[in-house]
Amino acid sequence: MFSNKAHKFRPYLFLLPGLIIVACLVGYGLFSAIVESLSTPENEGDFYYYIELWQNNTFLQALGISIWVAAVSTVISILVGLYLTRTMVRLFRKDHWKFLAWLPMLIPHFVAAYLVFLLFSPSGWVSSMFYQLGWIGSIGEFPVMVNDPFYLGVIFTYIWKEIPFVILMLLPVYQEMDLRYEDVSRTLGGSKWTVFKTVEFPWVWPVSIEVFLILFVFILGAFEVPALLGVTYPKMLPVLAYDWFYQAAWVNRPLAQAMMVCLSIVSLFAAILILTFSRRWRKKWTVRREEI
Amino acid sequence: MNENRKRVLLQGLFLLLFAIMFVIPIFFMFAKSISFGWQWPNLSPSGIDIRAWEVAFRDPRIYQSLINTVVIGGAVVIFNFLIATPAAYSLSRYEFKGKTMIESLLILPILVPVLAVAMGLHIPMIRLGLTDNLSGVILIHLLPTLPYAIRVLKAGFDRLNNDWEEQGAVLGARRATVFWTVIIPLMAPSIRSAALLVFVISLSQYVLTAIIGGGRVSTLPMIYYPFFSSADEAVIASFTVMFALLPVLFLILFETVCRSYLKILKKP
Repeated sequence: MFSNKAHKFRPYLFLLPGLIIVACLVGYGLFSAIVESLSTPENEGDFYYYIELWQNNTFLQALGISIWVAAVSTVISILVGLYLTRTMVRLFRKDHWKFLAWLPMLIPHFVAAYLVFLLFSPSGWVSSMFYQLGWIGSIGEFPVMVNDPFYLGVIFTYIWKEIPFVILMLLPVYQEMDLRYEDVSRTLGGSKWTVFKTVEFPWVWPVSIEVFLILFVFILGAFEVPALLGVTYPKMLPVLAYDWFYQAAWVNRPLAQAMMVCLSIVSLFAAILILTFSRRWRKKWTVRREEI
Repeated sequence: MNENRKRVLLQGLFLLLFAIMFVIPIFFMFAKSISFGWQWPNLSPSGIDIRAWEVAFRDPRIYQSLINTVVIGGAVVIFNFLIATPAAYSLSRYEFKGKTMIESLLILPILVPVLAVAMGLHIPMIRLGLTDNLSGVILIHLLPTLPYAIRVLKAGFDRLNNDWEEQGAVLGARRATVFWTVIIPLMAPSIRSAALLVFVISLSQYVLTAIIGGGRVSTLPMIYYPFFSSADEAVIASFTVMFALLPVLFLILFETVCRSYLKILKKP
């Protein structure tokens, strides 16, 4: 009887340390950020810093550029990663090549940023090559792709780093998938697109959308790459928040906290939405598969 | 036959693409660090020079930072295993109430911007005396690493066949013995992936270390960022190569430990 009871609590016991760490750090961190951001200077109304924030032009510009960078990098990474995964799964029957995708994972983000800088800055290697080929006549003619207002350098860096991540996330899906359905679809006269839509898509879709969420939220909140390859105006959100956090005797701190709280709320809502959706989708499809 | 040849050709093409995208830039960076007079528009350096490495190693700050980085990374890996292994085991092997909920809670740190959490924790951690020292930095580095450690280890447990454990148990082994002699060796690939991933994530942290370390805890990224805007390209390149080498060294060390553990196990 006792052992049975102990057995019942064991899974929770095993999870306890992790839950405590996450709850303390994330829970308390967010709580105290919210408290600080809700503080109001004298003679001002509630939500003062939130109202300030959403009227601040610097912030709005930063929001725009952050969404641009996150959306473009994430979509391109997922499309290229998906294409590479499905080709490689068919091309290499064994997964010895998996370590190839692991290799770039070992490179820290700012090292990747430096590589992009070395290759694509106006004095970089690609520019030198263009000169040697006679495509440009001087250093000034090379298009600015690093520390540029469109954040192309940052986007390159993220794409370079995240494609392997996408591959590693999608790979198990493809390995689990029964590719014989593909033959079925093809013999029944399905075009390439029909085959993809009916065989792979139901499996790939929920994982892709989760990967999209993880990457999008990560890029919105990551400081390391835009701090190196960004420009002073407009800054990306985390860089701006960090600036405000340490600026002028901490007066802008609540503003930085308000920005981060907004970002967290949006991220959490998106997460709840997407995770619920992908769970439902999976459930629906497993049921259908069992019916077959 | 023809189909087969086409396949080999495509495989070669893929590997080539991979090399161009990922391997060559790293070699390029290494070349940069030992080159001299490599200026626009030269496609290759005019000579070899290890001055940059000398500069990098003569800097007294770098030695301390290197040690800090490795100590923090190592500690973060160890704590991750202590926390993530039971959690992953539980998520993989048991069915219980609130499992989905708990699983979602545990991935929260990758769904909430870490910067938000670090900014919120700054003042509480000052009060607790956890800023400006290694322990606070180690604690905060658990944040971006723990969800990945749990995920990778859970996938490992999922793949592991339950039969081996049952066989061990049937043969009369105690739970702990089964764990150390059956599960751990079979989990080696996942353990390696998790350790490496966690180490690299910890190595890549700038902003968390900057906020919680308060500028007192100097890790390699702390020196790297100010250096980046300096003009000496070769020195930055040598720094960067160091970053790329650390995970490799870590992997070698880890592999040695794993091998010796397995060897000890095999001895009766």
